[in-house]
Amino acid sequence: MGIYIQSAAQISIQKPLTDEWLQQPIEHTQHHVRAIEPNFRDYLEAGESRRMGRIQKRALATALSALQQAQLDMPEAIITGTGLGCVESTERFLQAMVRSGEDFLQPTHFMQSTHNTIGSQIAVKLGCHGYNNTHVQDGVSFESALLDALVNFETGRIRSALVTANDELTPDYFALLGQLNYWKQEPITRQTLFNAQTPGAFAGEVSVAFVLQNSRNELSLCQIYALELLHRPSPEQLASCLSLMLSDNNLTLSDIDAVMIGKSGDRDNDAIYAQHAHLWGGRPMAWYKHLFGESFSASGLGLYAAIKCLQHKCLPSHMTLNGASISNPNCILMYNHFMNREHSLILLSTC
Amino acid sequence: MQQREIYITGAGIISALGVGKAASLEALLHARSGIGPMRQLQGTTHSHYPVGEVQLSNEELLQLLGMPPQTHSIRTGLMGMIAAHEAVEQAQLHLIRPQRTALISGTTVGGMERSEQHYLDFFEGQHTHYIALHNCASSTEQIAQHTGPYSLCSTLSTACSSAANAIAMGATLITTGRADAVVAGGAECLSRFHLNGFHTLMILDKQHCRPFDQHRAGLNLGEGAAYVVLESEQSARQRGVEPLCRLSGWANTCDAFHQTATSDNGQGPYLAMQAALQMAGLQPHQIDYINAHGTGTPNNDISEGRAVERVFGHRVPPLSSTKPFTGHTTSAAGSVEAVIAMLAMQHSFVPASLNVQQPMEELRFRPTMQTIHNVELRHVLSNSFGFGGNDTACIFSKP
Repeated sequence: MGIYIQSAAQISIQKPLTDEWLQQPIEHTQHHVRAIEPNFRDYLEAGESRRMGRIQKRALATALSALQQAQLDMPEAIITGTGLGCVESTERFLQAMVRSGEDFLQPTHFMQSTHNTIGSQIAVKLGCHGYNNTHVQDGVSFESALLDALVNFETGRIRSALVTANDELTPDYFALLGQLNYWKQEPITRQTLFNAQTPGAFAGEVSVAFVLQNSRNELSLCQIYALELLHRPSPEQLASCLSLMLSDNNLTLSDIDAVMIGKSGDRDNDAIYAQHAHLWGGRPMAWYKHLFGESFSASGLGLYAAIKCLQHKCLPSHMTLNGASISNPNCILMYNHFMNREHSLILLSTC
Repeated sequence: MQQREIYITGAGIISALGVGKAASLEALLHARSGIGPMRQLQGTTHSHYPVGEVQLSNEELLQLLGMPPQTHSIRTGLMGMIAAHEAVEQAQLHLIRPQRTALISGTTVGGMERSEQHYLDFFEGQHTHYIALHNCASSTEQIAQHTGPYSLCSTLSTACSSAANAIAMGATLITTGRADAVVAGGAECLSRFHLNGFHTLMILDKQHCRPFDQHRAGLNLGEGAAYVVLESEQSARQRGVEPLCRLSGWANTCDAFHQTATSDNGQGPYLAMQAALQMAGLQPHQIDYINAHGTGTPNNDISEGRAVERVFGHRVPPLSSTKPFTGHTTSAAGSVEAVIAMLAMQHSFVPASLNVQQPMEELRFRPTMQTIHNVELRHVLSNSFGFGGNDTACIFSKP
């Protein structure tokens, strides 16, 4: 059985709900960039929109767009990956409590503060009674959600799934993560991010949705060959996981057209990619966080970017580490890690 | 895909009933509730609400874990480590460990109990280590460090069904051959954030909660953690460990009705119970006991009760909510109640649904109001429902 990606839609710091960034990426110079929002009226009624936080609106818009593209009315599962969940609603409730005491708090922000508000809002909007789960595993929240979808396909319990990655970053949370050296101090340029000589990345936001199904048709964009999540693997475990992944699919490293990594410009983060660079046997490498920024579920945008490169038969020069574009890519390997603790590998191919 | 047997070879629990399975069993058998006045949670104006607290301070929990008192800790992580350790020890994972052992944990507020204390300090650059511990995955990582190594870790957050979904996801990892053993469950501590949230929703009872009572007036919040070790039959046999029970069916569905309320006819709960029965290959009459979600809120109990009647008709088996014992342990409830269901099965009793004075008039069945002793329970159904209409049912069966 194969698992196919039928559609992908994004709202991010690039132009939303289009693939225009492939040709004309916006180059950001700010340390904190909020997502560019589309016209939500295309997806939501005004009343609905007013009741929802930003992250929920974005999640619904990308979900509905992905379903539309995939010509699917009702997915059999809705699975969400989010590192921080509904930060805006959580902050509103928490800040009111901390600053003004416990006597005049409003329930709305509490109701919308749980991480699974995102997945449940999509389910309510669609009237979807299927499997609904939310993964919150830091920087591999999205891969964890994707793994949940794959194993449910494998058991035969579902035939289609909407898998999403959603993270918002408010100014206050940006400031808090800044206390942990998450963000660069110096001006953001492609070169400073590429060189990764200092701590910190630049912050983006993500809302991305994919429709997956277990049968191929004319809409299928690509096939997921394999996905592995590893917790604190030794270098040997990582290497053997990769070689098993390739051999299970009758592939060798030479079949991989590009290795797309989660390089963000942060010195410590990127050092891990350098440490494992020998694993890829000199295959061309690509990155995406210089376009989309860093966030806990940024790897969802990585997968989106990889799919679009396969679909448009070109991995543009602005995404490769050596600056040379790759035409007609067929097979992309994605490698991501979080704090050298969680590691993920995804193998994707045209179908 | 061919159904693989999922064995449960270990279980651990900490709640208002005490530390460990033995203390919990003792309290359940003697119908002794752990709910009482608020002692551990500090700094709230709502201290008059009864709660189900773990009766140990963070310092005492650290001591129990043999960790230095100055350790940067979050209460959810501390409770999680204690419960997971008990489960891992019983399954003897600390002696012989399958190479592919995963940890799946459910939680929702993460390190909120520290964030709400230090939130304004964070911006001044103080106590900043708690900023990273705020994330839900941080308690999972602490549990992993304490009871690992693990080949894979994930954290689920679906509010009050989180731990049940962790068990379901763990079982699916084993079914698909992605893991040989999975430590699965959830942990959640009390926080002012949660207390105030439920207070604003006006679903906290000022008295001890009374699930399935005509005059029920809301829930009592609790805290705790519980984990089970799920294992493939083959792995358990190879390691020479005996199953405590089997996980024979599980299902997660969505009510798709409202963010915090449940539909009148309990469509989500109905579908979850039906799907779990189907997976287990069981007829409703084969279920010997239902450990209900039974929060004690007017909305949950009528909706769950109607769903139970739709599935079981006129033959509703003994049913109780054990939340009057533990309080509603929110994200941990699914695994706390899974361990309670297993204890009931192993020790042949049905825990009483405490505090019912007048059973609900709208329902044809009555909850089990007195402990039933000496009763064989072959199959037990455990329900867990969360915000967002997230409904999960698990069926535990004798080996």
